[in-house]
Amino acid sequence: MTRPRAVAAKAAQYALVLWAAATLNFLLPRLAPGDPVQYLYGGDALGLAREALAEVQAGYGLDRSLPEQYLAFWTGLLRGDLGRSVQFNRPVTEVLAEFLPWTVALVGVSTLLALLVGVGAGAWAAWHRGSRRDKGAVAAVLALDSMPGFWIGMVLIAVFAVGLGWFPSYGAAAIDAEGVAWLVDAVHRTVLPATTLALATFGGFFLLTRAAMVSVLDEPFVRLARAKGVPEGRIALHHALRTALLPVWTNLTMVLGALLSGAVVVETVFAYPGLGRLMYDAVTARDHPLLQGAFLLVTVGIVAANALADLTYPLLDPRVGRASEGAAS
Amino acid sequence: MSIGRRWVPAVLALLLASGCAGGAEPSAGEGPITAERLTIAVPAAVGGPLNVFVSFQEQISELVYDKLFAPSPYVDRPQPWLASEVRMVDPSTWEVALRDDVRWHDGEPFTADDVAFTFHYAHEAPTGRFTHHINEIPDVSSVEVLDPHKVRFTCAFPCPDLGPVTLADLPILPEHVWSKVPPAEAKKHDALPVGTGPYRLVEFDPTTGYRFESNPDYFAGAPVVRELVMPIIADPSATFTALRAGQIDAAFRPVSPELIDEFSRSSDVGVIQTRPLRFPELRLNFERAPFDQPRFRQAVSFALDRQELLDTVYLGQGRVADKGYPHPDSPWSDPTLSTPSDPARARALLDELGYLDRDGDGVREGPAGPLRYTVITSGVEPTQVRAAEIVAEQLGEVGIAATAQGLDAGSFADLSTSRDFDLQVSSITAHGVADPTQFIMSHRSGYLWDAPEIPYPEWDALFERWKATTTVDDRRDVAFEMQRMFNQQPTSIPLYYPDEHWAFRPEAFAGWAESPGFGIVHKWSLLPHDVAERAEAIVVAGS
Repeated sequence: MTRPRAVAAKAAQYALVLWAAATLNFLLPRLAPGDPVQYLYGGDALGLAREALAEVQAGYGLDRSLPEQYLAFWTGLLRGDLGRSVQFNRPVTEVLAEFLPWTVALVGVSTLLALLVGVGAGAWAAWHRGSRRDKGAVAAVLALDSMPGFWIGMVLIAVFAVGLGWFPSYGAAAIDAEGVAWLVDAVHRTVLPATTLALATFGGFFLLTRAAMVSVLDEPFVRLARAKGVPEGRIALHHALRTALLPVWTNLTMVLGALLSGAVVVETVFAYPGLGRLMYDAVTARDHPLLQGAFLLVTVGIVAANALADLTYPLLDPRVGRASEGAAS
Repeated sequence: MSIGRRWVPAVLALLLASGCAGGAEPSAGEGPITAERLTIAVPAAVGGPLNVFVSFQEQISELVYDKLFAPSPYVDRPQPWLASEVRMVDPSTWEVALRDDVRWHDGEPFTADDVAFTFHYAHEAPTGRFTHHINEIPDVSSVEVLDPHKVRFTCAFPCPDLGPVTLADLPILPEHVWSKVPPAEAKKHDALPVGTGPYRLVEFDPTTGYRFESNPDYFAGAPVVRELVMPIIADPSATFTALRAGQIDAAFRPVSPELIDEFSRSSDVGVIQTRPLRFPELRLNFERAPFDQPRFRQAVSFALDRQELLDTVYLGQGRVADKGYPHPDSPWSDPTLSTPSDPARARALLDELGYLDRDGDGVREGPAGPLRYTVITSGVEPTQVRAAEIVAEQLGEVGIAATAQGLDAGSFADLSTSRDFDLQVSSITAHGVADPTQFIMSHRSGYLWDAPEIPYPEWDALFERWKATTTVDDRRDVAFEMQRMFNQQPTSIPLYYPDEHWAFRPEAFAGWAESPGFGIVHKWSLLPHDVAERAEAIVVAGS
């Protein structure tokens, strides 16, 4: 298979995945019992009369048949129109555009923190493998890793927001701040939720890095480097850690894939306006248009993360590139 | 692991220390009654920037909008507000003189054209919270502009309660803004609102919330708080943690019963107790046998031990629901209503109806087999789940086997509205339990009783009498008859009348006051108290 054909085949594969996922995203909310209009207008006044409900449902296109709705879904999607959120009474694209940056900021910062601290601490522990420091670190990480994210968040709030008053306990930004003050406030508000998420996820990076590096440290090329008189620091970072990073990279791309939707609990505890909580509320309210849009965004995120892994593996490990070239020829 | 074990107790100690911070003396009522800025958490931004045609919270949107009467139909004597003088010309005709010193937030003068436009627009807009209250009961057939500050309302049938009910309910919209929005598109309008009220909504963002600035030229007097910031905090626990930490000054959400004691002991947090016009209810699906039988429904009502429900579910924080439906604090409720608990009478009624336990398994049988039903409720409301469980137990004691089932909110709303349930525990607020026209709307044939095979001729006969009455007193008398009939064959049974507790930071602002049905977060708390008292909008201590 020639390279352009291989690329085209890969692209077709991704397009098929996206189509199947988008179709599932369309179907799932409709398969669940519940209707957004009934959710919104039921309750207080013992509900709306049936004609009134039908009238409102027609306004959101919910009275049409499933195939008609599906056709409208794709027509809209190709035009970049994801419909109108029933809950927010605004275009879905606007709602997603408002919530997406906060999720990317929160989960991006926490993932970066978890990655740097996890990889650094994991490498350090592997380098001191078998020592009391290593055992202590592993025990501490396992203990931390077993704590649920919401509990860590509540503890941080109790200590640093309620007790010491150092950080706000809710929200992502002040509604009326501008410029630098807005940025400072946003960073201030992100510290606790990002730390919570980082603490809840860094264990995976730590354990993976440690395990991979421990196995690499016994490899002949490390012994050879040592025999050649290469400085210990250079052996640790250049020879061992670099080689051990491949599974860590895999883990990172998987975490990135789940980035957009994975922080629902922490977002709830900190009242942070992220996509995870948005999706939870949309499921509760059966807000079909918003659910479709949010699911689509998450699907694209996961597919993009997979594509990133596919594309970057040969750069990290030349054997992968050679193997795939061998298979193609 | 040893590090983790050492760390956990230390953190728990810190948690306890932070939870116990604060003295033992309650401090509600002491503190400033003006403020530069208050931060009040709201649980959601449903409906966006206060579009009154979409779902919304009246208390919040009435910061921006005013009505012809104030504060609501839930008080004894609503007072003219945007109106200056009101005269019932005859039982179907009202003339309303309007204040001439009112301006919209954008500077345009408020006139009779706005009032006429609002009513006409609501006739054409898709059905919403307000529309059927002027299109059906009462049926306001025309609104004429008599001069720039005078309008005449004409109703299709007598409307002696137009002033204190309808005119105290419908917010008035600016014609110069809404005339550009086609009525069919009313629900989709998402611009910041323009009102005449004491606050202007100056910013709305679904990720951060609402920001209001006071209207210094408000005709009734400048508000006592200059700026309101309302962040959205969906989670109750996160809300009250933020309050405890001093990061918000109040919450648009009552305190759960478990937290009341802790907040009452704190010197940093004040607590106000109110008597809300809402209650949890057991709804019976009158479209399904055997709940389609009035006497069976009455037996269910007798079977419920309301004292146990109050004590167990709500920790005794309220009153026993022995006066049925509507809420006894509504000025439109018959004070003689009585819905006693009497399991023996429940059993006797079921026996009379022929539902007997023939096989001795503790469950009665009817023509369609054993009486086995499900009590559905929203699984995210812990008190409702508990109430459903206790209702099921109590029904079991009279031979009706019931199982409580908590559902996710979407499924519950679906089953509830499509009436695909036997029994359900839900909650109903002031508009449902204290508004006299909503009571008529909901229970006459053709609205919720819209299934053609289930007529309600007794009620409809009373409805015709109600429509023909020409004075408020006569109308109230017929309404009382309807209420008595309702409670003898209820389709909704109140489980208890809860009290509400509202927490706030008194050092930030202590001017909070109860307005019936509206809690403490509303415009009447934020206006000078003499203004609110003149409007008879707040509950004054000792009254």
